[in-house]
Amino acid sequence: MLISGFASVFTDPTGIIMILFGVTIGIIFGALPGLTTVAGLSMFLPVTYVMASNIGLSMLTAIYIGGISGGLISAILLNIPGTPASIATCFDGAPMAKKGQAGKALGLGVFGSLIGTIIGVLVMVVLSPTLAIFTLKFGPWEYFSVTFFALTLISTLTGKSVVKGLLSALFGMMVATIGLSPIDSAKRYTFGSLQLTSGFHLLIVLVGLYAISEVLSTAAAKQEQVKVLDYKMKGLGFTRKDLNGNWINLIRSSLIGLGIGILPGIGGSTSNIIAYSVAKNSSKHPEKFGTGIADGILASESSNNASVGGAMIPLLTLGIPGDGATAILLGGFMLHGMQPGPLLFQTNGDTVYHIFASMILGTFFMAILMWAGMRMFVKILKVPTHILIPLIVVLCSIGAYALSNRVFDMWGLILFGILGLAMSKFKIPVPPFILGFILEGALETNLRRGLEYSNGNVMDVFTRPISAVFLILTVLSLGSTIIKQIRHSAKAAGKGAQS
Amino acid sequence: MTSDSKKELGVGIFFLALSVAYMLGTTRISTFTPFGNRGLDSRSVPQLIGFLVFVLSSVHVIQVLIQVKKSKQDSVEPLEGNRDQVCDTDEVICIEPPKGSIIARIDTVVPVKLLLSLLYLVIYVAAYQGVGFVISSTFFLLAESFLLVKKEERKRWTVFIILYSIGASALIYFIFTKYLSLFLPSGILG
Repeated sequence: MLISGFASVFTDPTGIIMILFGVTIGIIFGALPGLTTVAGLSMFLPVTYVMASNIGLSMLTAIYIGGISGGLISAILLNIPGTPASIATCFDGAPMAKKGQAGKALGLGVFGSLIGTIIGVLVMVVLSPTLAIFTLKFGPWEYFSVTFFALTLISTLTGKSVVKGLLSALFGMMVATIGLSPIDSAKRYTFGSLQLTSGFHLLIVLVGLYAISEVLSTAAAKQEQVKVLDYKMKGLGFTRKDLNGNWINLIRSSLIGLGIGILPGIGGSTSNIIAYSVAKNSSKHPEKFGTGIADGILASESSNNASVGGAMIPLLTLGIPGDGATAILLGGFMLHGMQPGPLLFQTNGDTVYHIFASMILGTFFMAILMWAGMRMFVKILKVPTHILIPLIVVLCSIGAYALSNRVFDMWGLILFGILGLAMSKFKIPVPPFILGFILEGALETNLRRGLEYSNGNVMDVFTRPISAVFLILTVLSLGSTIIKQIRHSAKAAGKGAQS
Repeated sequence: MTSDSKKELGVGIFFLALSVAYMLGTTRISTFTPFGNRGLDSRSVPQLIGFLVFVLSSVHVIQVLIQVKKSKQDSVEPLEGNRDQVCDTDEVICIEPPKGSIIARIDTVVPVKLLLSLLYLVIYVAAYQGVGFVISSTFFLLAESFLLVKKEERKRWTVFIILYSIGASALIYFIFTKYLSLFLPSGILG
């Protein structure tokens, strides 16, 4: 199937150009501090409306790959991570650049990104179809338990307070109940408005919460003149000697990124820091970390890129996005008339394998573009935000308007933009809200269907092995987080009393 | 009470009020059970969500109040005129931000630019359908770019921003309507 995917990619020159274009856009958005992959995806989503689904979705995944990789440029040359996924790249990338070895740091970062993406994408290609076959056996109770587990997991993993995480998820679910109810199409919270009958479109919520709020907060921040470090890069920028003793580090970090990417909501922004800490703790020379060594750059960049493949697995097999970017991709799939989940491989197998093949191709494009075109991307770092930010707003508005040719969706964009800003101001994590919004429909439908199948007997959910396992996992993840938080606050109280 | 505690209390009260309003709203949802009530109806899940939000927000409010009570017992009141402290809640360390620091600057810079950006966005959306994409986008790009560009650089960028705003709006309209077959309002330009 993958071979037919490659055949379909290589026989369509437009598709290849779009992958190349997507990777370039992704790198630019990843490299520019303050703008993220999600903003890039939101901005270019309307461009895919009229494309064939396989080409449009391949371009979006290419933006995703480029975006995660591009963050290393500003992390190394400006000591500012382009995206949260490159925070740990600053730790060793910037000191190496300050020592006059910026070219080597960039080269190592690109190499780490390449290896990480390849491992992540290959595992995704192997694992996703197998998991999809397994999930085909799922009935309503199993779906209910999996979605319930995903929701509680994201609420416990993001943010410092589990209560606020859960409140955020429930808030997202509240917004999702606006419109017609699943199964019996009863009007809920429409207040007599015809526009609200169809509820808020997923893309409006996503683009508003992620892109518009991000753009508004960047607009509000003080504009600083960036000072880009000079660099020289010959060939790949590094020698084979620099990789000595780092292969295990590369594979381990990629697997960490992959595993964290699979968990809903945390992705590359967390995996790079965890992989960096693991690399430091298992190194023979931990004291050298932070002084500008290859190990740190490779650990960070391979793990964040491997998260791309990881985050795609739950999206494709269960319809549960792994992070903000995959949430936008979910919207992209839905716009093109596809519903990610176990049936996706049966109903749209050709498109899925086309996307797999284009992701592999996009990975190599990313490495080639970054090695060959680094000078161009570095120049783009100097583009002022007062030129870019208004343009992003205009393009996001086109995306919102073109959904149903109505201004109502643009108002929705502003509403969710303000909501996103308020949530960040009050430290309410956004990912649980998004997942709550996305999964409410599936959760409610499966809960109601499950109860109907079992004649109202709720105990059925515990007697089915798969659903019972996920419910046990839910209790364990919630329980362990609550215990951890109680211990943490007791420790803080103890410290306060001592002082 | 520190500003952090006030914020947290605000979050709790907001969700508490939201849950009550949301649960009251469930009474207006019509239900339909033609095969008897074997499970849940269209009202049940919102009721459950509302109840959970009510319980969790109550827990949050109680947590904050307990924390405030504890910190009142443990710590000394901050000095007068030293209220805007930067606190690390994990380490229980508080320092006063120096004048002219990033935090002090953000406090003064953020609201004006943010509010103006929002205002421009609202005007842009309101004018979108009636005035049309090209004109409303040109004015939005102009206004937002001039708002964001540094005051001392405004003169240098003026010509570029004007040309860029007109050119970008016209080009985007052309590409999206001619090549990407999307409908964008032409407004007063017909």
